[in-house]
Amino acid sequence: MKIIIERFDGKKKYESTYELRIDEVKGQTLLSLLQYIKRTQDITLNFTAACRMAICGACAVRVNGHSYLACDTKMEELLEEYENPESMRISPLNNFRVITDLVVDWEPSIENLRKVKPTITPKSEFSEKTGCVQTQADVDAIKKQWDCILCGCCASECNKLEADASDYMQPFVFTHAYRAADDSRSKDPMIHLKPAIANGLWNCVHCQECVDRCPKGISSFGDIESLRVMAMKKGLNEGMGPAHAEAFLLDMVEGDGRLNEIKLALRSEGVLANTTKLDIAYNLMKAGKMNPLHIFGGEKIEGHAELVKMVEAARKAEKEGTIK
Amino acid sequence: MSEQKFTRRDFLQSACISVGALAASGSGVSALAADNKKDSGNKDGLPSVDVLVIGSGGAGLRAAVAVRKKYPNLSVVVVNKGMPSRNATCMAEGGINGVIDFEHGDSHELHAYDTVKGSDFLGDQDAIIKFVEKATEAIHELDYAGMPFNRQKNNTVARRFAGGAKYERCNYAADKTGSILMHTCLDEAITRGVKFLLDHYLLDVAMDGDKCEGAVLLDMQTGDVTPVLAKAVVLATGGYTRVFFNRTSTPFNASGDGIAAALRAGLAFKDPEMLQFHPTGIRTGGALITEAARGLGGKLINNKGERFMSKYSKRMELAPRDIVARSIETEIRLGNAFGEGMSSYVLLDLTHLSEEQIMNELPQIRHVGLLFDGMDLVKEPIPIRPTAHYSMGGIEIAKFDDMSTHLPGLFAAGETSCASIHGANRLGGNSLTDTTVTGKLAGEGAGEYASKQTGFGSGKHAHELAQKWQAKFKEITSGGTSNEMYDLREEFGKQNWDNMGIYRTGDKLEAHAKSLEEFQAKYDALKIPNPNMTYNTALIDYLEFGNLIMLARCACLGALERKECRGAHFREDYPKRDDVNFLKHSIVTLKDGKPTLAYKDVVITKYPVEERKY
Repeated sequence: MKIIIERFDGKKKYESTYELRIDEVKGQTLLSLLQYIKRTQDITLNFTAACRMAICGACAVRVNGHSYLACDTKMEELLEEYENPESMRISPLNNFRVITDLVVDWEPSIENLRKVKPTITPKSEFSEKTGCVQTQADVDAIKKQWDCILCGCCASECNKLEADASDYMQPFVFTHAYRAADDSRSKDPMIHLKPAIANGLWNCVHCQECVDRCPKGISSFGDIESLRVMAMKKGLNEGMGPAHAEAFLLDMVEGDGRLNEIKLALRSEGVLANTTKLDIAYNLMKAGKMNPLHIFGGEKIEGHAELVKMVEAARKAEKEGTIK
Repeated sequence: MSEQKFTRRDFLQSACISVGALAASGSGVSALAADNKKDSGNKDGLPSVDVLVIGSGGAGLRAAVAVRKKYPNLSVVVVNKGMPSRNATCMAEGGINGVIDFEHGDSHELHAYDTVKGSDFLGDQDAIIKFVEKATEAIHELDYAGMPFNRQKNNTVARRFAGGAKYERCNYAADKTGSILMHTCLDEAITRGVKFLLDHYLLDVAMDGDKCEGAVLLDMQTGDVTPVLAKAVVLATGGYTRVFFNRTSTPFNASGDGIAAALRAGLAFKDPEMLQFHPTGIRTGGALITEAARGLGGKLINNKGERFMSKYSKRMELAPRDIVARSIETEIRLGNAFGEGMSSYVLLDLTHLSEEQIMNELPQIRHVGLLFDGMDLVKEPIPIRPTAHYSMGGIEIAKFDDMSTHLPGLFAAGETSCASIHGANRLGGNSLTDTTVTGKLAGEGAGEYASKQTGFGSGKHAHELAQKWQAKFKEITSGGTSNEMYDLREEFGKQNWDNMGIYRTGDKLEAHAKSLEEFQAKYDALKIPNPNMTYNTALIDYLEFGNLIMLARCACLGALERKECRGAHFREDYPKRDDVNFLKHSIVTLKDGKPTLAYKDVVITKYPVEERKY
């Protein structure tokens, strides 16, 4: 079969194609295959790897556009996933600056981590001399987030980063912010929450690709949602994002249960801001995706009463403190 | 240089200017005064930083944080040959030793005694006694820094048994203790304003007279050779177990760069022959199955279905690593194992544990079993064999309290260093303690030293070294064939395993010493067919391989001359420990590029030397 690798030598982009027999491919991991190609066919091929057991995060690349941790991916599974293809295309992670071949620049990610101050400031009853007290349940609450190995798979898949990275951070940065903010030993979640808000917390587009591709099964999307809930509870509900979320709830309960895009936009961003989006609205209407008459309300969806009951039950439970 | 003014961009720009000017001006001293450090001694205006930490595993990160905490006015830069989190610390699984419960019989004395005995009395007792006290502090500090340890019912840090320990003092976070510890340290370094210089490879340590003046780095992104001046340098580049290239649990980048650079700078490599073999590496490739698996009652089974450890130790599977590793190899030699040759193995049985317990305490190793051998340890015993795991030897430390070396201004920490805590055999759980404790001590030591310096070195030596490396790179990237280097490295790893592995003999070691010189000669003639200096990973492989050959030669010399059995060093032709002649550290230095050996007495203060029985 053909392994096509997208190359970059520091100046120009090109492709290399490596012909391999199927018995050279089977039984390998994606990482050992890359090493095999470097060792036997092309010493100039560049990629990074260190632990080869899915704990250091060095070797994430894309296959046919999707991110994989190379050492943790068996070639047989890939062949099955893509139905024994004639060729596979390997490329560097998306949404990172490519240095060469499959090697990407991590420095901007570190600077983004710095923004959310990933280390907790412990409560004043704890000390460096005697440590902290924490229940196993409180550890379990953040245990999954601590599985993050900074491999970058989530960032590679992130649609928001691809569209515009200027007002957003890599999904794993939010996971780091959340695990610090939600740590029971932490004195003040605001230390991590505020910079998360200031750096794009409300800009996640909910595509959930990050959840889908995380080799550790972490949901950065979920952590972003949790941080948003935390923000709303802390009264940090000014701005477009929180208004957007409130509008969602209003439509579900007091409206017809259908998300009213027109009201949503008007409530979230205000009337003036929306006059600049008339062209988008026009296109949406033309495509039949938005009904302008819905500004006056539409028919209630089936099961709307039950939906209202559910939301009200949740609100009640929250008041009683049975859920957080 | 104040911390506020310092950015990586500035750093790199000044670095590139200096190297450009260096190339243009030949002697290259004049045109570089743009940096304008009138009082600093840095006349060349080379990039400079107060404390330069090389290596970003647990030890390097702890060192950097320690400087920031105690000397907040000093600038700190952590250099790594890649992204900081790709290191061996994150691969540690079982836990970190340190007594935190003094109510149920355990004490610092017992931790110290277990460590001394574990070291087969080659550990320096003055250092070990201080080390175990600092271990307790380290656990609380990590907890306070946000490390999410597993917890006991009373909400304090959870502990379990590790090999060679009398009490449960191995504190843990599932079987990912190293990863979680390292990320705690990385987060703390980031939060505290430590700067990172990613993708820079250590070429050499530079000296101004008899003091360390900085280091020479290869900027992997551009291929520029960058001299960097520092008031103090901390080497924390990890161990060298990749000398056994194909059978080790450590990452590909564990090539002992710091030790090799220190050797070239004239420092001593202490106890290089002391290489630890972990009993339980996965059959395919040698990735680690944590000792905690045996701590939780894992049984070792041979091809007769026997729990064979009963033949070797009263402590069964929980005997220290050297003993368990040799027991398994003995079973393989006796024909009591499965498979053949390099793929021989015995079984590790954990099926008495529930799936829930495994997912709670050993999820990572279940994953390793599935990944490399397609076997699920919840359902069946998995195949294992010993794997090279840890370097007890390292750069000789002059003083444990600040982890200084015999070169003023140069400090070392973690697996790179040898303060003789582990002697001839490290106990499970003591490596993360080492990384945390010695990292902090080295950081504070380097910080104190740097704060007392009035300026930087002249940069003359750094400059000369940089020129030398630049010329060398031009030469070695000018030809050769693709797989020549990798074939040679493969053979090198195999021969080290066969001749300098778990069982050693004088004959084999003698022949091996010669063969290593042949490897050196072949290496010296090697060329790499890739002149493109943009992140040239083949060149990095080449440089790492060169260091490994040098370190293997030192280890082979130490092993050949140590005519006894002690800890991990097992000589079949001298099957007893010899305290009369070898209660001594091997001290290897380079003379005209060749390793030469001397000895130094072990420090014995509190615990008399006795037979080591388990």
